[in-house]
Amino acid sequence: MSKTRRPLVLQKFVKMASATATYGQKESSDQNFDYMFKILIIGNSSVGKTSFLFRYADDSFTPAFVSTVGIDFKVKTIYRNDKRIKLQIWDTAGQERYRTITTAYYRGAMGFILMYDITNEDSFNAVQDWSTQIKTYSWDNAQVLLVGNKCDMEDERMVSADRGRQLSEHLGFEFFEASAKDNVNVKQTFERLVDIICEKMSESLDAGDPAVTGAKQGPQLTEQPAPPHQDCAC
Amino acid sequence: METSVCCSAVCWTHLETWLQQLEKQEKKRCYCVSMVVTADQSSAVSLKMDLNFLQSLEKEIVLEVLRRDKQLRIIEDDRIRRMKYELQELRRRGAKSFARQYGERTCARCQRPLGRFWNSGDVCRGCSHRICGRCRMGVGTVDWKCTVCHAYREVKIRSGQWFLEEKLKKFPVTTDKNETVGEKLLQTYNVLSHISVVPPTPPPHMDHHFMSRSGSLKNSKPFTKSVEDLMVSFTSHIKRISSSQNDLLVVNDTRKGSRCQYSTQKSLSETDINKPAYLFKGPSLPNLFKKNKDSDQESSSTGAEEETSFCSSDYSGGTRGSNSSLFESISVTGELELALVYNSNTSCLEITVGACRNLSYGNAKKRRCHPYVKLIVLPDESSKMKTRVMKNTTDPVYNETVKCQIERHLLFGKRLQASVWHKGTLRRKVFLGEVLIPLDGWRNEDKASQDFNWYPLCPKGSSPDGGAVEQDGQELMVRVKLSSSNHGV
Repeated sequence: MSKTRRPLVLQKFVKMASATATYGQKESSDQNFDYMFKILIIGNSSVGKTSFLFRYADDSFTPAFVSTVGIDFKVKTIYRNDKRIKLQIWDTAGQERYRTITTAYYRGAMGFILMYDITNEDSFNAVQDWSTQIKTYSWDNAQVLLVGNKCDMEDERMVSADRGRQLSEHLGFEFFEASAKDNVNVKQTFERLVDIICEKMSESLDAGDPAVTGAKQGPQLTEQPAPPHQDCAC
Repeated sequence: METSVCCSAVCWTHLETWLQQLEKQEKKRCYCVSMVVTADQSSAVSLKMDLNFLQSLEKEIVLEVLRRDKQLRIIEDDRIRRMKYELQELRRRGAKSFARQYGERTCARCQRPLGRFWNSGDVCRGCSHRICGRCRMGVGTVDWKCTVCHAYREVKIRSGQWFLEEKLKKFPVTTDKNETVGEKLLQTYNVLSHISVVPPTPPPHMDHHFMSRSGSLKNSKPFTKSVEDLMVSFTSHIKRISSSQNDLLVVNDTRKGSRCQYSTQKSLSETDINKPAYLFKGPSLPNLFKKNKDSDQESSSTGAEEETSFCSSDYSGGTRGSNSSLFESISVTGELELALVYNSNTSCLEITVGACRNLSYGNAKKRRCHPYVKLIVLPDESSKMKTRVMKNTTDPVYNETVKCQIERHLLFGKRLQASVWHKGTLRRKVFLGEVLIPLDGWRNEDKASQDFNWYPLCPKGSSPDGGAVEQDGQELMVRVKLSSSNHGV
């Protein structure tokens, strides 16, 4: 183990990144969509955030562990509820040292996938901290899903599904157990998150409308003060 | 475990505890600890994003991601701009034309007369205008909206503004936007050495898209484009060196200083801007995407600046003094006639100012108006052009053509701001209204835009595209005046 190995690994990563860049170009320059959602995947290092994203975006899986440098994202356009929705999914580095970079991207993210590894107790214990991070840095109407990854590794399971569920209820998130390797619940997780964001969207629009209109009415009412009942035919 | 500690400012205690933690964990492949960031977990939201602790290779990777993100954002901004342009068009169609006389009761959208008993229209719950049966969208007899309110809501959904509004609640006075974090970083690290190694390559698809729209193929060689981009980055770098990189802000500051009575209002907080915007405006998207502007400035301002500055040279002498001039505003009425032609032979944007009609009196007491039209290709504030001042008229005819030397593809992300001003005595200026026309959403093959078009004048910053940042102080002033004058009438 020497210092010199590090650049090698990174170079590999650069290749990977550039490959995805060219791949994603077509997708990302497409303007034919209705909404664009920004989604962030967070969680401890090595819980499988990148694998989860790769499984969803490219339907691929590599067992090799390549630590994400800072941040990365992928773009995927899906068709849901009669709408074409473009997802910009940010994959963040779990390592502490990149925290300043990743937290800067919490803002503006409409949805979070908070991930832990069911074979790693520490990653589960950190969920509370991650949730605090979301509350601190993100906007209040961001939606969060809790995902226990690697559920294919039942033999090495350290965190029971019940504990995961209890925690998610405690935090007020929805919960999934998933496996990027076996492609379990990956698509479902993203689709559910998109649905929650859509729900939140219509909710906030309906709630926001009266406030907006109320404020807008001011000068217009003085202009044309006809109350609605005046025109009633009776 | 490989560790390479290569940073001077390492907090050793943190490093040790961190290493202990790591050892407790399974032997994961952790290949580097170049520095332990003492994560700022305090409740204060720190937006500082610093790449200094990263190694150069890592920096490259992160910057590459940021660059990709920026490309994506430019495309997204373009989409949103086009959407807002369409909304503006829709509103424009509903605006009253002063050539015609209207009865008391007309539909606010199509201007068809409404009866008193039948076809009497109903009040839209969105804008509280009276709307005829035909201009309604949505289901049911109760839950409908007028076409404009409907489109407004659509734009709000599709542009993601519904989500951005939440930011105001949580970060009311922040001047930072999430998007600009990456933007700033890109700026900071976009140093010369870097450019020479990795010239920012334009996204080929976007390029193609744009060129196909323009129809001119002579610019579409990727080589020229990337060289152009390189020049843009280069000039931006030079500008940074001469510390005039934030010249927009500098202009901002001088104005702010000279009109210090507004300076307190001119905080960049978006709540300040948004709230009054709602007060009197119809359904427009107020100041929607300030980030647009940020990225515009960053992405495309540089090229045109040098090219168009000669247009403004005669201007700067005359009206730079306006910084210290009195600034007033009155209610905005009337329309402005403009024709836009892009001459691809000379790479000139030719803007013909035809006439104005039905302007407000710049001096309402004396019923006087000496209007002139000022043209700016936003976000490049330096390219100001003005028409002559016409004396004593509210329907001035100019028929002046202003040429603006600008490469076709540099129009991407730019807007034409045409504002009408009254030139009063001394250095008093009165704002009479403005029109904002996105130059990229506008298609040149479109014959309609080459002919003269009447554009209704809007109050400052109320056009869907929003004004430039520097106008915010003025914007507020306009509003105060407006509401008071409305009450007076």
